[in-house]
Amino acid sequence: MSQFVKEIGAQEYEREVLAAGEPVVLDFYSTECPPCEALAPKYEAVAEAFAGRARFFKIFRQGNRELATRLGVTGSPTLVFYKGGKEVGERMTGEEIKKTALKAQVESMLP
Amino acid sequence: MSERYDVIIVGAGPAGLAAAIYAARARLKTLVVDESVPGGQVKTTHKVSNYPGFPEDVSGKELAGAFAAQAQRFGARIAKAIEITEHALGGPEKKLVLDEDEEVVAPAVIVATGAKPRELGLPGESKFKGRGISYCATCDGAYFDGKDIHVIGGGNSAVEESLFLTQFARTVTIVHQFDEFQAEPASVQEALANPKIRVLLSHEPRGFYGETALERLEVEDLKAKQRKTLQTDGVFVFVGMTPRTDLIKDVVTLAKGGYVETSDAMETNVPGLFVAGDARVKRFRQITTAVADGTIAALAAQRYVKEHRR
Repeated sequence: MSQFVKEIGAQEYEREVLAAGEPVVLDFYSTECPPCEALAPKYEAVAEAFAGRARFFKIFRQGNRELATRLGVTGSPTLVFYKGGKEVGERMTGEEIKKTALKAQVESMLP
Repeated sequence: MSERYDVIIVGAGPAGLAAAIYAARARLKTLVVDESVPGGQVKTTHKVSNYPGFPEDVSGKELAGAFAAQAQRFGARIAKAIEITEHALGGPEKKLVLDEDEEVVAPAVIVATGAKPRELGLPGESKFKGRGISYCATCDGAYFDGKDIHVIGGGNSAVEESLFLTQFARTVTIVHQFDEFQAEPASVQEALANPKIRVLLSHEPRGFYGETALERLEVEDLKAKQRKTLQTDGVFVFVGMTPRTDLIKDVVTLAKGGYVETSDAMETNVPGLFVAGDARVKRFRQITTAVADGTIAALAAQRYVKEHRR
C-alpha cells in the first residue's frame, strides 16, 4: 500500500476526513474504471508533494455505497476536498483530472 | 538533459499504438505518452464487435491492453498518466516537457490525441457531473443498481452503452433528438427488444435540475414543441466527440470543429508533425480507421526520420 495515500472505509470517514487538522482530499474510486487507474499515479505524486501538509485518502465506492450516496457521488473517480471538516472547492471527476489542477487546488487549501 | 527519440507519439489509443507498433518494428526509438492509461476511447467501451480478428466480441479494455502489449514487445516505451506541461512542435526539432520535469525531443511527432466525449453544454450539466451525470458507462454504471436512468444520444455509443447499462439499471430511457437511431441496425434491434429499454425519439434535453444531486431532466418534445420534466436517477451522455487538438492549435490551422486537415500520408503543414486517428478531418471514425491512420503515419514518419537523420 502507498505511503502517501491511505485507503479508508466509511467507518473512518468521520475520524480521518472530517476531524483532520490538515486539508484533506478524498478519492472515490471503482474497479473496472480506466480513468481511476489513470488518476492513481498522479494522485500518488501529488500526495507525496504535499506530505505532512495535506492528507490524501482513497475510498472504494463499491464497498462504501452508503457514504457515496450520502455525499451524492455517482461517478468515478471523484475527488472531494475538505478543510476543517467541511467540503470546500469544486469536486474533480472523470478522466480529465490534471495533476497541475489538483496541485493548484491543494495549494489553495493550505494556510 | 533531454532524452532523444526518433518519434514521439502523443496519445495511446488505437491510432497511437498502431503507429507505435510500426515505428518500433522499424527500429525507431519510440515513445508514446498518454495522459491516461493506454487504450483511448476503446478502453472504456464495454464490448467491441466489429474489429476484425475477433470472431467473438472482445472487451474494449482487453483490446486496448493487447494493442499496448504488442507495441511494448517491439520496444516502444509507453509513458502513462503524463501531462504535457510544455511543448514546441513547430520547428525541425520537436520538444515536449512531461509532468514539468522530463524533457523529450524528436524529429518526428505523431499526434494521435483523438477525441473526448462531447458535452451538451446545457444548464446544470457541469454542476451535476459526477453527481448524476456521467460520460462513461463502464466507470459509473454500477452506481445505478436498480435505478431509473436516461441515456442521451442515438448513435452506436448511446445504443450499445444503453444495453450495457441494463445490467445495472431498472430502466434505461434513451432520449434522442431524431425520429430514428443513427446506430447500426443490429444494435438498435437488440436495444428495442430489451424489456428494460425505453425510447423517447424526437426529444432533446434542455437542462438538469436537483438539490445536491441530479433529480430531474428537462426535455423538449421536438414535434409537439413542448417541454416536460422527467424524474431521473442518472443521465449518461453519448452525443459524439470533440477533438483534443489543443496541443497543436498554435502550429497548424484547425479546420471546422477543431479537427486537423492532413495529407493522405497524415502529414500536417509542419514538416515532421503528423496527425492520425479521430483528431483528423475525415468522414468515418472507427477503431479500424484509427489503426489505419496510425500505420500510415508511422510509415511516413519513418521515411521522414531517415531523410532528416544527420
